[in-house]
Amino acid sequence: MELNKSKQHPSQMLITALYYILVVISAFVVLVPIIYLVMNSLKLPRDFLKVPPTFLPEVVTLKHYASLFTKAKTLKYFTNSLTVTSVTTFVTIILGSFAAYGLSRMKLSKHALGMVIFTFLFIRFYPKVTTIMPYFIIMRKLNLLDTVWAVILGHLGITIPFVTWLMLVVYNDLPYSIEEAALVDGATPIQRFLMIIFPMTAPSVASSAILASFMSWNEFLIASSITRRDATVLSIAVASFVSDKGIQWGQMAAMSLIMILPMLLFALVAQKYLVNGLTFGAVKG
Amino acid sequence: MSTKIRQKDKELSSWLIFILPALLVVILLQLYPLIYSLFLVFQDWKLTESPEPKGFIGLWNLINIFKNDVFRRSVVNSLIISGTAVFFELIIGLSLAYLFNKERRLNSIVRTLILLPMVIAPVAAGTLWRMMLNGRAGLVNHILSFINIHGPNWLADPQWSLVSVILLEIWQFTPFVMIISAAAITSIPKSLREAASIDGAGRLMTFKNVDLPLLAPTLALTMIFRVLESLLSLDSIYSLTFGGPGYSTYTLTFFIYNEGLRSFNFGQAAAASWLFMIFTSLCIVWVFRFQNKDK
Repeated sequence: MELNKSKQHPSQMLITALYYILVVISAFVVLVPIIYLVMNSLKLPRDFLKVPPTFLPEVVTLKHYASLFTKAKTLKYFTNSLTVTSVTTFVTIILGSFAAYGLSRMKLSKHALGMVIFTFLFIRFYPKVTTIMPYFIIMRKLNLLDTVWAVILGHLGITIPFVTWLMLVVYNDLPYSIEEAALVDGATPIQRFLMIIFPMTAPSVASSAILASFMSWNEFLIASSITRRDATVLSIAVASFVSDKGIQWGQMAAMSLIMILPMLLFALVAQKYLVNGLTFGAVKG
Repeated sequence: MSTKIRQKDKELSSWLIFILPALLVVILLQLYPLIYSLFLVFQDWKLTESPEPKGFIGLWNLINIFKNDVFRRSVVNSLIISGTAVFFELIIGLSLAYLFNKERRLNSIVRTLILLPMVIAPVAAGTLWRMMLNGRAGLVNHILSFINIHGPNWLADPQWSLVSVILLEIWQFTPFVMIISAAAITSIPKSLREAASIDGAGRLMTFKNVDLPLLAPTLALTMIFRVLESLLSLDSIYSLTFGGPGYSTYTLTFFIYNEGLRSFNFGQAAAASWLFMIFTSLCIVWVFRFQNKDK
């Protein structure tokens, strides 16, 4: 097909041209806002009010970043987010894949399995805003209000059912014969899981881990209901610029960028697993 | 393989230990809060008036919520935003999936790029578009001025702010639809399309008669998933418009959030969220039936 490229029919050429135009438009729509955010984080305050606006900063300044890290406790927010996300992801993967494996090997009746899957779907899609008041009240009673542990617990309630649901499909597809050899050797279920099954399904585990970490890092609703000051995570820090009087555009842009940059890079590196996880959840789940 | 070992392996108790921790999490962090919020539906409780619930008030929270103008407006806004946004997401997402479907280098680069908005935290996507859509100094109106369009004051105008929320939603979640559609398109057997083209069907006919019926189940599921997720979203509206100007971009989720965690009107918020829950539960039942029928 590529051979007769030079002798393209005019209508074919038109289609090719249209294709490239659409490539450019797509890239433009996606990239320009993101680059604009980067530019805004480097602009002096006076540049924001310019009419017509300028895309590039006239003078590049790092003062927004500097003041975020000196005056605001951005470093602390960042470490809070990092702690919440890594602990949540780690615990989720362990408990979620354990539960999924157990469920898949229990040989539940069709009806019971249906109930389990319905529960997972329900937890994923019921309005989370329903439970934030109880969370607030529970965490107040447990004296965990405004701690990273409260945020972690809140996130685990969402990520564990989600990952269990994803991994359940994986383990259900795994033929039982693989484990039979180990069964004869007298390996306990836990040994079997850790030595054979878990390593075999590593790619799916990676996909689940990525989705769980995105959920946790980007989460706002739960975090905003149970943190006030000490346990502030990045999503709260970004949102805090909104209710401020006289928005500080530069700092808002810089803070947003600090929050999204790690995930953008992560998505580029682990794109394959991200896409797998997403399609898996929707197409197969 | 002796049946005895197999039998033992099927015993529930040995697997229970796998499930127990996750089960505890679900009970403590989902079931308990859900029941608690159901209890709140029938309680008279404003945190600003009393530190503990003031007692049972029957259905008054539900009755009052229906009388609340802001609640009714929020429901309408939610339906407009989610309906419009998901409609465009499906059309654009499916088109992009076809456009960049062929295996070639440029396509895989573009596919990667298009993925990016989806991984941006919604709260940051909100601040980002707040800057883009600023009426005076925003980039969007500047770009529109190149083609001689005098852009509206997006976020300050009641109607345009609703459009802004929809635009942000489309920008962020069309990639999701694209990914799912692309996977579904790839799974269509080539032989079916070839058969269609041998029968003399043009591209459009093939799409209509071969692709679309095969894609329909996935697209329907994606649609429901997206509608539900979009109804639940709070972060982007929080940072893009904060429900404003006035109440013009109040969504159901934003209303409940405000009622519960800013006004601390727990009873009312619980009532509104359980009404919301009944609606989403019906959707979930539908998804569930749909998936089971599939298998």
